[in-house]
Amino acid sequence: MIQFFRRLHPQSLRILALAIVLLLTVLFFASQIDGYFSPRMLNRIATSVAVILPIAIGQAMVVMTRNIDLSVGSVVGIAAYLIGDYLGTHPDVHPVMVVVIALALGAFCGAINGALVAYGRVPSIIVTLGTLALFRTYLVEYSGARSITTAGLPQWLVDLPQATVFSIGNFDMRLTVAMSLVAAIIFWVALSRLRVARKLYAVGSNPDAAVVAGINSSLVVFMSFVLSGMLAGLAGFMFLAKFGNITVVAGLGFELKSVAAVVVGGVNIFGGSGSILGVVLGTVLVDTIDNSLTRWAIVSEFWREALLGMLIMIAVATDTFMTRSFGRMKGKSE
Amino acid sequence: MMLARLKSWEGLLLIILIITVLANAALAPQFLTLQNQINLFQLSIEKIIVALAMTLIIINAEIDLSVASIMGLAACTFGILVESGTPAGLAIILCLMLGIVAGAFNAFWIAYVQIPSLVVTLAMLIMYRGIARVLLEDRGITGFPQWFGDLGQKAFLGPFPLGMIIFVVLLVVLGLVLHRTGFGREVFVIGTNAEVARFSGVRVARVKTILFIISGVISALAGLLYAGRLASVRGDAATGFELDIITMVLLGGVSIFGGRGTIIGVLFSILIVLNLRNGMALVNVTGHIQTAVIGILLIMSVLGPNLAERMRSTGLAKASA
Amino acid sequence: MTAALSDMSLAVVPGEIHAVVGENGAGKSTLIKIMTGVYQPDSGEILNEGKAVTIRNTHGAQALGIAAMYQEPMVFPDLDVAENIFISHRNLGTFMNWGKLYQSSDELISRLGVSLDVRRAASGLTLAEQQTVEIARALSLNVKVLIMDEPTASLSAHEVERLLNIGKALKARGVAVLYISHRLDEIFRIADRVTVLRDGKHISTKPIAEVNHDGLVKDMVGRALDKFATKTKANEHGPLLLSVKNLSLDGVFRNVTFELHKGEVLCFGGLVGSRRTDVGLALFGISPSTGGSIELDGRQVVISTPQQAMDYGIAYVSEDRRKLGLAMTMPIYANASLASLKKFLRRFGFIDRAAENAMAEQYRERLSIRSPDVKIEVGKLSGGNQQKVMLAKWLETKPRLLIFDEPTRGVDVGAKAEVHNIIRELAKQGVAILVISSDLPEVMALADRVLVMREGQQMGIFDISDCSQERVIALATGQDQVASAA
Repeated sequence: MIQFFRRLHPQSLRILALAIVLLLTVLFFASQIDGYFSPRMLNRIATSVAVILPIAIGQAMVVMTRNIDLSVGSVVGIAAYLIGDYLGTHPDVHPVMVVVIALALGAFCGAINGALVAYGRVPSIIVTLGTLALFRTYLVEYSGARSITTAGLPQWLVDLPQATVFSIGNFDMRLTVAMSLVAAIIFWVALSRLRVARKLYAVGSNPDAAVVAGINSSLVVFMSFVLSGMLAGLAGFMFLAKFGNITVVAGLGFELKSVAAVVVGGVNIFGGSGSILGVVLGTVLVDTIDNSLTRWAIVSEFWREALLGMLIMIAVATDTFMTRSFGRMKGKSE
Repeated sequence: MMLARLKSWEGLLLIILIITVLANAALAPQFLTLQNQINLFQLSIEKIIVALAMTLIIINAEIDLSVASIMGLAACTFGILVESGTPAGLAIILCLMLGIVAGAFNAFWIAYVQIPSLVVTLAMLIMYRGIARVLLEDRGITGFPQWFGDLGQKAFLGPFPLGMIIFVVLLVVLGLVLHRTGFGREVFVIGTNAEVARFSGVRVARVKTILFIISGVISALAGLLYAGRLASVRGDAATGFELDIITMVLLGGVSIFGGRGTIIGVLFSILIVLNLRNGMALVNVTGHIQTAVIGILLIMSVLGPNLAERMRSTGLAKASA
Repeated sequence: MTAALSDMSLAVVPGEIHAVVGENGAGKSTLIKIMTGVYQPDSGEILNEGKAVTIRNTHGAQALGIAAMYQEPMVFPDLDVAENIFISHRNLGTFMNWGKLYQSSDELISRLGVSLDVRRAASGLTLAEQQTVEIARALSLNVKVLIMDEPTASLSAHEVERLLNIGKALKARGVAVLYISHRLDEIFRIADRVTVLRDGKHISTKPIAEVNHDGLVKDMVGRALDKFATKTKANEHGPLLLSVKNLSLDGVFRNVTFELHKGEVLCFGGLVGSRRTDVGLALFGISPSTGGSIELDGRQVVISTPQQAMDYGIAYVSEDRRKLGLAMTMPIYANASLASLKKFLRRFGFIDRAAENAMAEQYRERLSIRSPDVKIEVGKLSGGNQQKVMLAKWLETKPRLLIFDEPTRGVDVGAKAEVHNIIRELAKQGVAILVISSDLPEVMALADRVLVMREGQQMGIFDISDCSQERVIALATGQDQVASAA
């Protein structure tokens, strides 16, 4: 038995455990909430996950390189607001172009973070705490206390949340959900198949060895922030599409939710390991709990944050104990 | 050399401070009056009190992101207790004890399970805030006893309100503890190199535990002051204060990697931030831009020395080549 | 400032194993760093296939086909073996072809004559397996020169066999191997030529057939022998202080047994990685023992934290000043008082700075720490003076038992003699002293008794009058077993 677990990659074990926890969570809520397995609930969770998932994937790549990006929430806000504003004056821009602009906006914000962390050698926690405030301020100043409303948006965008790619029974595969899943699949394939992407793991796993192996660590760290910003830009677009009405507080608190999803999803907070599959499961778990609590009669929905905090702590503690007991097993066998 | 550089950082802060004070005085003649200065302190009194505890934590090479949530949690707990008929005096004591418990809980994970404080306190930032929200949901509580509100708002000793007196007392006490006592020495050594401290018989986990408990109880105290000053509490009380607090500490020349910093430097940086905000308000710069300026200052306070260091080392390399 | 390495000449030939031997501080690591582009030589040149080259950085070394295997293997714990091997390759296409990757890695590994699952994560590998990964990585890059730095330092006998076979396999494939080791028996088994370094100088390079064991040892320790007076007779010593019986730490060391009297110097001899330091750490409570007993003054004690050890009057002067010994950015006085801070505390825990300064000044004088005052950061002092500050820190605790781990590592010859005199003086004052040293002349100069360890086992303990450098080397390397088997 122990032999089996030792052969199994710790990462696979982690994902297996996560899937079981997710299953139990769903079953638990199903037993508590009437009509939990309705397509409506499923759609509700799916569209909510669709916004968070890209951010979580970006955050995962940053965390893999031993850094953290706390500015993603503000980037989501900037992207959502600026695009909404732009569409108000240029309603004829092609939808694909709009997405490209969102990605570029996010990438630009990410590049600022990345340059300061990778080349300025300022710890990422400081940089992104700073830009968290800076980006938000820019948004507040730019907006001049105006909000974006659905009325100012082109019709295709207003209809987007209802746009359905295909339906299975009563469950509709929304376009935004599909976009998010496609992004996840692209990054999943990239991180496991693309040679360049493997450098993310190398740099986070052993920075000294990365230098000896001739990897340009600064560039890798820089790129991880650019990608994180880009994906936050995509999330900003989804956010705009989902809500239509955007105020300057759009995306507030997403940084913590994304860190939670990533850590729960088994990305090692000390860098070097983690998988997109885990991040997807982590995001779904965090968001399922979030969305289900609002429907659970016994407990107030205000428990969401408290539970989220606990969940992160449990995930990190489990990882810590698991890594240590693995280490001990190894130590004894020698 | 090292001391000279530290002194020069504080010297630089002092010069900036004098400039901001002079600029303020030039912009508004009433600026230098005592009452105006007291008002200046009162506006951010809770943050600057917590910044003192944060100074010790960061010099110890740790970080406490949960301070603002503990402030909010203490304030909300106080509100609930008073609302349910607990005497306010007892409620204050219970809330301070809650601060101790919250700090000790952080410390358990950080010092004994040895999970990085960044991760632990980030999770606790969410969790303590969440508990505060569970307590109050979306209500606000007002109707505290008159004397409690007065403590937060009115002059307590001479012209000085209680918060300012607490700040000055903590400044002196924590300054002496950090720079003059054996405990403070251990804080510095652990921040410089925790393994060296352990190999020298320093009880590293115990020092860290004490620091996080201090941070927790001071945050709770600051949360109570906040409740008193505003005469009301909500679940989101003090949200986001941690950013301002950490900024003040780092701007004061405390190294994010630990082992370096002085309480005087932090005092200077607090005064600069307060005066800068005041000055910006005088020239009609909004609160959000003020926050952005502080954010830029935060990044610059680390980036500046880094770039200077790199220029120096490349210069040296060239000289020796 | 003496040169770390001077007048070094070395030629490596394809298909040859060239051994480099020398004691600690002989200049071996400097040589590696120059060859891999980490350091630049002040003078002299490097020829590659007859042409002069400059190796600016690790990239440059890689381009020339020079790779080094470090004492601490440079692997990525989160990646699997195959990916670790091919991480530096630049022309394998945009996409990972995992199937091909595993196949090529398998081939490489099997060419080395070992079996290793290439899909396993490197975090689960033993040190020896990690080394195998590093060698395979070098092979995959068509390396021409492979530098192995003390590759067998922490390997078990079985693993050493395997590594030596790999070395032979590399040789057969036409790789030039630069084999750096203390272990003479290994060198006689695989090397074609051997170069001896001593105190940063090139002493000799000879074909292995022309040297014998004794000659090599003489070349290695040569001048050092007449540098310090070798003890021939143990000093008088006081009553029994420490009695250690069958001390063990699971998977690290086992059954270490010795007695130590007041005023006696016991030296732990052996190779780097023979687990001597772990015994010291167990006595100091850093990594407490899991078996056996420790008696102090005839009473059995349990030591599970450094604080407990210090309460019993035990002090441990670490081998790693930078990581474990000194707070480098703090001043001399703060480091000197660190382990005995309580003594300087007055009312409310305030430090008596005057008393602290006076103490530090006193040590500055007594140990002749060369520094204008005691407010200087210790990081700014030379290695020897740093070592003295560390000594001051522990002397101020007034220890009964002082454990020195490599007391003169990275210290120049003058300061070395001073440190030795201090140790002798302490012994004369009745302090029981345990010295862990890989520096044989040092052992011979200080010890009353010598305990030799090898691979976590106590190989023998004997009086200095029965001791010779050759005997210590023989026990430490297992040479005696080879000799008796032959």
